[in-house]
Amino acid sequence: MTYSPARVRELLTRIAEPLRAAPASTELSALLARLDAFQQLPDERLDATTALEASGAPLGAMRVIPGPSRGLVGATANELKKLAEAELAAHAERAAQAALEAERKASDFDATLPAARVERGALHPIVAVTRELEDLFTSMGWTVLDGPEVETEHFNFDALNIQPDHPARETMDTFWVATPPGAPRLVMRTHTSPVQVRAMKRLKPPFRAIVPGKVFRNESVDASHEHTFHQMEGLVVGKNISVGHLIGAMKTLLRGIFGREIEIRLRPGYFPFVEPGFELDARCPFCKDGCSVCKRSTWIELLPCGMVHPNVLRAGGIDPEQWTGFAFGLGLSRLVMLRYSIDDIRHLLGGDVRFVSQF
Amino acid sequence: MKISYSWLTRHVDLAGVSAHDVARELTLSTAEVEGVHAFLPHLGDVTVGHVVERDKHPDADKLSVCKVDVGQGELLQIVCGAPNVRAGLKVAVATSGVTLPGDFKIKKSKIRGVESNGMICSERELGLGDEHNGIWELPLELRVGDKVASALGAQDWVIEIDNKSLTHRPDLWGHRGIARELAAILRRPLKPLDAAAQPWSASKAGEVAVRIETPNCSRYIALAVQGARADKSPLWLKRLLLAVGQRPIDLLVDLSNFVMLDLGQPNHLFDRRRLSADGIAVRMARAGESMKTLDGVERKLEPSDMLICSGDAPVALAGVMGGESSKVEGDTSQLVLEVATFHPTVVRRTSTRLGLRTDSSARFEKNLDPELAPLAARHLVHLLRAEQPDVRVVGAPTDVGDWKSTARRVPMRFERVRAMLGADISDDGILDILKRLEFGIEANSNGACVVLVPSFRGTKDVTLEQDLVEEVGRIHRYGNIPERELEGALTPPPRDEGWKRRMLVRRVEDRLALAAHFHQLVSYSFVHDGLLEKLGLAATPHVTVQNSIAEGFSRVRRSVMPSVLAVLEANRRRSASVALFEVGKGYVPSEGHEPLEVHEVALALCAAPAKKDARFDHNSLARLKGVVEDVVRSLGLEAGAWRKCESAPSWANPGRCAELRIGDVLVGELAPLEPGLARALGLSGELESDTALARLSIDALLGAAQRSKLYQPLPQFPDTLVDVALALPEERAAADATAAIERCGKGVVAGLELFDLYRGPNVGEGRKSLAWHVVLRASDRTLTDQDVKKFLERVEREAANLGGVLRRE
Repeated sequence: MTYSPARVRELLTRIAEPLRAAPASTELSALLARLDAFQQLPDERLDATTALEASGAPLGAMRVIPGPSRGLVGATANELKKLAEAELAAHAERAAQAALEAERKASDFDATLPAARVERGALHPIVAVTRELEDLFTSMGWTVLDGPEVETEHFNFDALNIQPDHPARETMDTFWVATPPGAPRLVMRTHTSPVQVRAMKRLKPPFRAIVPGKVFRNESVDASHEHTFHQMEGLVVGKNISVGHLIGAMKTLLRGIFGREIEIRLRPGYFPFVEPGFELDARCPFCKDGCSVCKRSTWIELLPCGMVHPNVLRAGGIDPEQWTGFAFGLGLSRLVMLRYSIDDIRHLLGGDVRFVSQF
Repeated sequence: MKISYSWLTRHVDLAGVSAHDVARELTLSTAEVEGVHAFLPHLGDVTVGHVVERDKHPDADKLSVCKVDVGQGELLQIVCGAPNVRAGLKVAVATSGVTLPGDFKIKKSKIRGVESNGMICSERELGLGDEHNGIWELPLELRVGDKVASALGAQDWVIEIDNKSLTHRPDLWGHRGIARELAAILRRPLKPLDAAAQPWSASKAGEVAVRIETPNCSRYIALAVQGARADKSPLWLKRLLLAVGQRPIDLLVDLSNFVMLDLGQPNHLFDRRRLSADGIAVRMARAGESMKTLDGVERKLEPSDMLICSGDAPVALAGVMGGESSKVEGDTSQLVLEVATFHPTVVRRTSTRLGLRTDSSARFEKNLDPELAPLAARHLVHLLRAEQPDVRVVGAPTDVGDWKSTARRVPMRFERVRAMLGADISDDGILDILKRLEFGIEANSNGACVVLVPSFRGTKDVTLEQDLVEEVGRIHRYGNIPERELEGALTPPPRDEGWKRRMLVRRVEDRLALAAHFHQLVSYSFVHDGLLEKLGLAATPHVTVQNSIAEGFSRVRRSVMPSVLAVLEANRRRSASVALFEVGKGYVPSEGHEPLEVHEVALALCAAPAKKDARFDHNSLARLKGVVEDVVRSLGLEAGAWRKCESAPSWANPGRCAELRIGDVLVGELAPLEPGLARALGLSGELESDTALARLSIDALLGAAQRSKLYQPLPQFPDTLVDVALALPEERAAADATAAIERCGKGVVAGLELFDLYRGPNVGEGRKSLAWHVVLRASDRTLTDQDVKKFLERVEREAANLGGVLRRE
């Protein structure tokens, strides 16, 4: 039954009727007078709260109601109470719904207000890219190796078929470490390649390994040259490893880095520790017909590589008649710069938080 | 090295092959080409003109007014200032609109009131040399109206080759070598060299006496040449030299250079009148000796330098540069031509030491073929005679030295070549490539043969079977080799020390960068002396390089911390708070051994000074301690065992340095930045900072015993919270008090959180108040008020044992 003032009056009338018929008493008259007063109220004031109050009048005065009427009056008064309560609950629900609707139709919303600050840190981009490459290669069964930054002349040069008189020693702009006379000579390693021979001595072929790390060249610093930078060496030694395998591995590497097929070309390049030696160019991933990254050539010189020289295998204690292998030297710093379009290599090791925090 | 396209055509027919084609072929098979550009492109804009009339300028004695036919029907009126202009000449005319070298644009103009419609050019104005005494007189047979470039065949392209890619190829340091490669690649014949046909009858005791007193000169040829004049070079010669960046001088110098750039064999001309009658001696320099080189510089010599001497007097620095004393002067007609083979290392060391890199030294240091020397000598004489037919060689040429042919035999297995390349090339295909490269084949049977490597390839480049694999591969083209997948058993990498370290470092990095929001640095390994000085480590032994990149940057860090300190101030200047870490290596020198490598992580937290009334743990030190403990715990290690550090590192405030141990192993230190160092680093005044630093040894963390992580049953009974405040003597460590509280709980203390540290009048001088929220929880029942009361009574007694009191509200 829906709430209405008429319904309330009807119930009030039904409460009053038996009371009027009952023997009069002062209390009863007072109760009737209160009920009449509610009855007299205009419709607009006969709301659920008032109705609830009205139902309370007989219910609070049960003891003055004569026995025979008590049951009927009580039942009717309770009906009125429930009617009022139901209306109050419905009203509250309507109000709540209205509030929800108002919240949904918010007029004070500005989608562009700034967010609350969340602190964040960052991995260095060299570390991030190194990890990506480590994960790529380890997923293909390669091992990740490490080697010392302060390296012996033997591993950095001699074992790599770079004899003492070899011009490559001078072109590499080596930092020589001061050592006492007679002690083995030390250098800041000029490449990650010395780990090739260290790896051969430690691991039994066949094996596949990468070596990310820091290398040093004593050359003047500008936007594209640093005296300290990062490389990643790769080395595979196995049975019947061929140039074809090298090409396959390099294409896989580039797919991993750029997420799609990248055309490559190998052309002759000279490095004493490989024979034949190559320069690997990748089709510029940033353009179709020449851009500043590829110097308008559509090819990017990406990494030197080659078949491991028999003398290097021998220096590592491996029989070149039994085993062959390939090696490559990826310029990690350069790759990071390509990946993020970094135009100045000095940012990489410059230690400016504003740089690192971008990654 | 610059290579002229038209020069190449002297040696190989390049019909249908453009300069860009040449560049591509060389790139894919031989060497790295850095670029191709047109030579003197404006010669293509300048027109052949015929001077029909020449009159004197009405108002200027030295000027002429010419009528020039440039094939346009109408004659052009051009004013010209050259003394040699006259009617009947064929000349090079730059008409208006043409741009000459130096961005000089030709326009119609009036010269002293007479209209001039272009310019008649001198050789210098066209970039063809220094000749500027008059206009360039072209051959009369040229056709009027043609462009000068095509009329003279002067159109050329310069192919720039990266010298580094020729380090191992002495045979490619001249045009003929490059042409030989192209001939092999393009399957075209290499044109014979005229000079090669001439007989060579040298003798050991020829006209010029030569003594070789050092093993560093393996061959020395000397010819006495008479009747040569230092005339102007012909145009073809000047043009080729200019194309490759050489300045033409005179015929003698130009031909000497030409032969070097043509065959790759340096040579030298001496003035015979200035040489002593004793002849030439080749010897090493003596200590204290010196000589003046052609460039006029007095050079101090070392016993490692090789000299060419006249009698005993140095007349040339062998293979590097001639001496001033025997320089050929314009008026000489008696020359001695030297063509020799010098030891590559000796030449390289001298030229490197003196900073005197010449075209000659660059070639000798690649190790030249001794058999190239006589060819070059004949070539030069032949070219000279072609220009000056009355030139003659006096007596027999001298040819001395104990050189041996560098030609060699290298055994080769066809199957090995195929296997190494991964390419299916037939035996015949392999032999064809080698023959095209002028290799000989002997004893071809049973899948193997002996390859005869010619002397010009045998100096050092081709000595092994592997080298022949390269020859076959590069001519076959690497791009024609099919790609192959690596095959083999797939096993996970061994869980060795290196793997463990890498995984541990990754976890540390992730915890710091991603959880603690620190920024990762990767820094230089070199540390500046100034910083080491500030750290008081100037006298500590460091790995030191002899040739540093800059003054004061010779030392290699022993620990990672200095690298972090080096960038602290700059970053703090830019930002109110800085949180940095670096994982890296340090090197500790070890007498007579390879230096000891240490792996560390260094952390820095730097912020504006903490407020006076800040909570006890609202400061960098407490925050950094939390970060360090989080890192250590994330590795499955216990991080609670801190104690005061008795030998603080130099970056730490010694009074406030804590060290962390796991078992007996020192894992790292934590401290506020040493206050004096803070000032020295510039973290004072406006940049006054609350800086905390920490170092963790990756090596120690790797060695520390891991706590295995085990599941703990979830609590079944409710927590009871109680606050405990103790007033304690200052020297009593917080850890002692928490240990005591835990003891008092008899196994029901489930958590302890210090929330207040107070010093002040309420607790008295030399004392501090510590207050904890304590969580009590039993595993078998709900605790009662009675339990709490007993616990507090025990705490009160323990506090007394610690010299303190339990504080009650």
